[in-house]
Amino acid sequence: MGNKQTIFTDEQLDAYQDCTFFTRKEILRLHGRYHELAPHLVPMDYTNDPDCKLPLALIVNMPELKENPFRNRIVEAFSEDGMGNLSFNEFVDMFSVLSETAPRELKAIYAFKIYADFNVDNFLCKEDLEKTLNKLTKEELTPEEVDLVCEKTIEEADLDGDNKLSFADFENMISRAPDFLSTFHIRI
Amino acid sequence: MVKELVDMSTRERIHAIRDLPMSFEEKKSIRSQVLAFKSANQSPHFTGFRDFTENASVTLRRWGYSVRSARQTLQLWQGTMKEIGGRFGTSVLTYFMFLKWLLVFNVVSFLINFGFITIPLLVHDHTPNLPPNVNFRGLEILTGAGYFNYTVMYYGSYSNETLVGLGEYNLQLAYFFTISLYMVLCGVALIFSMAKSFKENYVLSDPASSSAWQILCSWDFSIVNERAITQRKNNLSVQLKESLSEGAQTEMLTRSEKMKHFGIHLGSWLLSTSLAFGCGSGIYFLCQTTDDSSWTPLQEAETLLVPFVVSLMNLVVPLFYSLFNKFEVYSNQRKQIYVLLVRNVILKISILSILCYYWMQVVAKKFSCWESMVGQALYRLVLFDFLFLMLGSFFGEFLRKWLLPNLGVPEFDVARNVFELIYAQTLVWIGIYFSPLLPVIQILKCFIFFYVKKVSLAQNCQPPRRTGRAAQMQTILIALLFFPSFVGALSIVAYTAWSLTPSKQCGPFRGLNNTFGAVGIWIDNLQQSSSSYWVIWIYHHVIRSEVFYFFLALIVIIIIYIFWQVTQGRKQLIVQLRQQIVN
Repeated sequence: MGNKQTIFTDEQLDAYQDCTFFTRKEILRLHGRYHELAPHLVPMDYTNDPDCKLPLALIVNMPELKENPFRNRIVEAFSEDGMGNLSFNEFVDMFSVLSETAPRELKAIYAFKIYADFNVDNFLCKEDLEKTLNKLTKEELTPEEVDLVCEKTIEEADLDGDNKLSFADFENMISRAPDFLSTFHIRI
Repeated sequence: MVKELVDMSTRERIHAIRDLPMSFEEKKSIRSQVLAFKSANQSPHFTGFRDFTENASVTLRRWGYSVRSARQTLQLWQGTMKEIGGRFGTSVLTYFMFLKWLLVFNVVSFLINFGFITIPLLVHDHTPNLPPNVNFRGLEILTGAGYFNYTVMYYGSYSNETLVGLGEYNLQLAYFFTISLYMVLCGVALIFSMAKSFKENYVLSDPASSSAWQILCSWDFSIVNERAITQRKNNLSVQLKESLSEGAQTEMLTRSEKMKHFGIHLGSWLLSTSLAFGCGSGIYFLCQTTDDSSWTPLQEAETLLVPFVVSLMNLVVPLFYSLFNKFEVYSNQRKQIYVLLVRNVILKISILSILCYYWMQVVAKKFSCWESMVGQALYRLVLFDFLFLMLGSFFGEFLRKWLLPNLGVPEFDVARNVFELIYAQTLVWIGIYFSPLLPVIQILKCFIFFYVKKVSLAQNCQPPRRTGRAAQMQTILIALLFFPSFVGALSIVAYTAWSLTPSKQCGPFRGLNNTFGAVGIWIDNLQQSSSSYWVIWIYHHVIRSEVFYFFLALIVIIIIYIFWQVTQGRKQLIVQLRQQIVN
């Protein structure tokens, strides 16, 4: 609003504000955070859309993600090549979906991507649930207990009886959990 | 899809693009396609006008975005909230957000009252008219009486004149309309946030006990502290193991056990309600004995006894309720929290209603400038509530860590703390009519409390063990803020304005039969000066006629009934659809 910055053109900032849930100040701040992850790799001038991607290892070292059990899955879900390398646009995308104002449907879609192994199929099968559970409890449960809990989960949430959770089942469960909007939220 | 987007208005289009589950690059290309399509399709005539409207809309949008940015810079305590959320999770954060919200309410109230009531009075006559031998002694800060009695802090110092300066400013009407305006604004804001909360958080069944929910929906992504995350993982494992073992043994209670549980419940309810009523009657007798209008220092100090006892009861009796709670057995934890909440509400309601009864029936008839007396009593209550909450925080959280470490690290009880805030706000809402500057104290309280609770949280507490009811708890607490708290305060102020005779020698309504008479006088004056017929017509046919309110109530009831039937129909539809999916 008057202060001349040379990182983005005005049209670029308009596009960012129209397509994400961030304001202009937040986008500039995000650029600052992206830049400080790798100051020699990330250019300060984005007016001509440079092609710069940061590897997974750098991104998951951010304080907001460092201790999160799902950090690798989150970054992989938003990277186009599936390996976790994020360009700045994908970086903004990630934090935009995880921000406070993103709607429930959008968050549910990406939460499903994070929990399910989307490279293989589009379902949350028992192995995916077991992996998720292990990330969440870190070997406190015995294998039989893990098995029991995963079976119980599928039993409770599976509506069409195919022994795995489709996106519709997942979304149905999310719609009955009002806290989801506030827990699926990372502050940046 | 591009075609659909082109047909929408700009705002809808932006919302639709934002909600698309695609990457940013794809959204950007869709957006540029839509914009290119729109500009290519517009007629080549009127290019000047088209450019102008386009530029105007772009500028307007940019201006809207910069307003959003500016609002963000004004947000108080953003960094601290992020820190607290990162360590303790979202449910603890709701307490601090509630605190911030109440702070905004009180700041608005202070600005409205100060601007419309106090400043005109100060401009007109800024020296308090003290009787000869009253000076400022230190005791006033505690009792609120003495020197403060003659300042603009209380109702009694406001005059009922009409100021003639740039225009006519009727102080009497200003007082009445300012207080009503503030109450209406509060009511509207509360109703809107309550409705929004209900809409977002209403659930048909309690999912929090199912494992599916625990694995897939309960993890709080905003926690960034390593220790907190380890703790959460442990809690989750414990909960999962518990739910597994619960499933294994479904308890079939024998009849005698059921009778025993019922007996314990009944006993606890009887005990708690009798405690509540006992407290109420104790306060009433105490009020009657410390009832004096001569102002020797000892008797002034005696006036501190009532608020002291009230705050002491508010601190100690809920501890008894928690003790009863430990003996009782509940089928799920949610019922336990609700029962505790209901008992605390009954306690506070009984204490407050006894106090209000005493003020309305006894003080109003006995003292000459009774509104200021009530204002002072409320000031003392607010102050002592603050002191006792600080003491409680100190003993409950700080000392417990040092002196009784074997009791374990205390959990931060969000429900109890928010409930204290609701009680404090109720006192302020009751007191606004009698002491227009009371919100100042509440603002100071909120500020100090934020920092005290933040430090106490960081040093002494651990995050709550059972996660997942934050949204529902928030809805219930907002509903509590509206229904017993705000509606109760509003009804007390309305009763005072409608039925009680204002004192004859002080205050803006002196000499009238009741406060509302000020409006009556104004309408009469308008009639005599024969202008603004519509105001007079509205007054006589809408506000003063009972038939209007009757029909309004009837229409509202009919609308509610229709909506209720629609909801019932939809619930049945959901059940049917679910059956179809399963089959």
